[in-house]
Amino acid sequence: MENISEVLTLFLSIDNFMAIAAGVLIGVVVGAIPGLTATMAVALALPFTFSMEPVTAILLLVGIYKGGMYGGSITAILIRTPGSPAAACTLLDGYPMAQQGQAKKALKTALYSSVVADLISNVALIFFAAYLAKIALNFGPPEYFWLICFSLTIIVSVSGNSAIKGLIAAGLGIIISTIGLDAVYGTQRLTFDNYNLMDRVSFIPLLIGLFAIPEVIDFYTSRVAPHIRTAVSGASLTWKEFKGSLKTVIRGSVIGVIIGAIPGTGATSAAFISYSEAKRTSPRKDNFGKGEVEGVAAAEAGNNGVAGATLIPLLSLGIPGDVITAIILGAFMIHGLTPGPVLFQENLPLVYALFCGILVSSFVLVFVGNAAIRYFSIIADIPKTILLPIVLMFCIYGAYAVNNSTFDIGLMLAFGVLGFLFNRTGVAAAPFLIGFILGPMFEDNLRRTLLISKGDPTIFFRGPIAWVFIMLTVASVAFAFRRYWIARREQA
Amino acid sequence: MELSDDQSTHTANDEYGRLNPNSLLGGLFFVVSLVFLFYVIPNYINLPPYMQHPLLSPRFLPQLAGWLVLILAFVLMVNGLLYPPKREEADELRQGVPVLRQVLMLAAGAIYAVFFEQFGAIGSGIFASVLLFMASGLKSAWIYVLAVLFPVVVSLLFIHVLNVPLPVGTLWEALLQF
Repeated sequence: MENISEVLTLFLSIDNFMAIAAGVLIGVVVGAIPGLTATMAVALALPFTFSMEPVTAILLLVGIYKGGMYGGSITAILIRTPGSPAAACTLLDGYPMAQQGQAKKALKTALYSSVVADLISNVALIFFAAYLAKIALNFGPPEYFWLICFSLTIIVSVSGNSAIKGLIAAGLGIIISTIGLDAVYGTQRLTFDNYNLMDRVSFIPLLIGLFAIPEVIDFYTSRVAPHIRTAVSGASLTWKEFKGSLKTVIRGSVIGVIIGAIPGTGATSAAFISYSEAKRTSPRKDNFGKGEVEGVAAAEAGNNGVAGATLIPLLSLGIPGDVITAIILGAFMIHGLTPGPVLFQENLPLVYALFCGILVSSFVLVFVGNAAIRYFSIIADIPKTILLPIVLMFCIYGAYAVNNSTFDIGLMLAFGVLGFLFNRTGVAAAPFLIGFILGPMFEDNLRRTLLISKGDPTIFFRGPIAWVFIMLTVASVAFAFRRYWIARREQA
Repeated sequence: MELSDDQSTHTANDEYGRLNPNSLLGGLFFVVSLVFLFYVIPNYINLPPYMQHPLLSPRFLPQLAGWLVLILAFVLMVNGLLYPPKREEADELRQGVPVLRQVLMLAAGAIYAVFFEQFGAIGSGIFASVLLFMASGLKSAWIYVLAVLFPVVVSLLFIHVLNVPLPVGTLWEALLQF
């Protein structure tokens, strides 16, 4: 009873509701603007959370994440430009619907499917995260060491077209993460006697640099593409039509939840699996790809079903499932919280306050999504020529805000150039970020294990949990190699 | 069957030669990781006088990551030589970009990176935004009003709402004192 009142005290604040609403709105707006991503929005919003309470801060970021997932589908439907990779599947039927004058119906289908899937995903998060965290309480440093090894295997799946380049980026991220004073011996590592680097490379300048600045540089080093105007037209979605797709939405949501709970699998694969499953079982399978409501519903249910579920490994085990959850992990750390079983033990009211907020965000998405459909042409018609100088300004001020230091501005611009070079050479930036975050965790658990065992390596193989993670790591690596060889054979 | 001129040109433009981005990138990473492993680590990572286990060394993780990059860079280089990648459509958009557009972008970046303290947040925001609007060839007067309005509003938001003490500008302070 005491816990419930504590949860309500933490959650029932006007700031939290405003953060959720603002987060979802920002996410939808950014997701709806071609070229801007939810990842960039979460990275840019992070400095704004410094002065906020931890629950408010995390809810703002989660709101952006969820809004961005839906926002990405708006451009996919209207102008055949998916705002996020996961929305690529939505355009298969969404864009043909828009061409047939049914843009409004497609957008409403995407919205309601997203909301239902998001809700199911959130319920799964609430039920499974605590259970998994309870199991994780039995973990010691060796088990965590193997868990981090398993988490590192997600790098392959976020590497884009080249696993080799992705692994190189991850290696570079790990190297950058080692800059600063050594945690055990206190000796200097790669600081080059610069006192700004003694306390490690700041997370926010790195994040903004990698994910926001390359968009700006890319815009000014490319020819100006014509600005595409958009239009929302046609009849709306009827309850009867949506009811006909409800089974598909629920199935897609369950697929999204299962895939989202596995680190590194991602929303894109969930959307495509959900879509192909819907196509396989639908009586209107011949209409898929030509403007089928069920097709839009399946794709959106799959990709939004992932949103809540990716928070399961983050909250219960402290490992990020994708890039945005990696940023949210950073936000937890900035606010002095460490996701994982200890969070459930020491900050249970906070976790449940977060769950309440995450549930509320699904309902907020209905209102914000509907408003976005109505006023979308205003949002999407802001040309990048005006938008990007403002984005750059936010990047600069945000980077400066971390330590009130111009060094961080330089650092951010340097990572921006690196991110731009990565984009130009086909190197994914996500593995770099994962390496930067997981590198210190890997080292920390390795060292703690060796210190506990006084250097005896057999401790790494001491129990069934460690063996489960060893087998998962081996299986994940083998699976990644198999996919790589299949892709190589198909290319040949 | 012979390829027509049009087809053969298309094929030649589609693929890079041996000196392609992948082999060059692999070569670059290979050299960088060699320098890192054999020069930077020995000189810029200090070892403590006593260590309980070699894996506890402050050099262990950087060396592990360095070797990982070295091996993969070699693989990437060989892979690039054996299988030259295809050109992307996006490459075409990157050709024929006016030099002035890129120079103005660099100037805007330099204002933020070098003169942020001197010009202050508002001053550097205005200068950089004006340069970036010019880089896009914007000519309407109201757009340039935005270049002044946005830095002022965003700076005030940071200073008064988020309590971030953005710099006012040492140059303006000196001018006021003068």
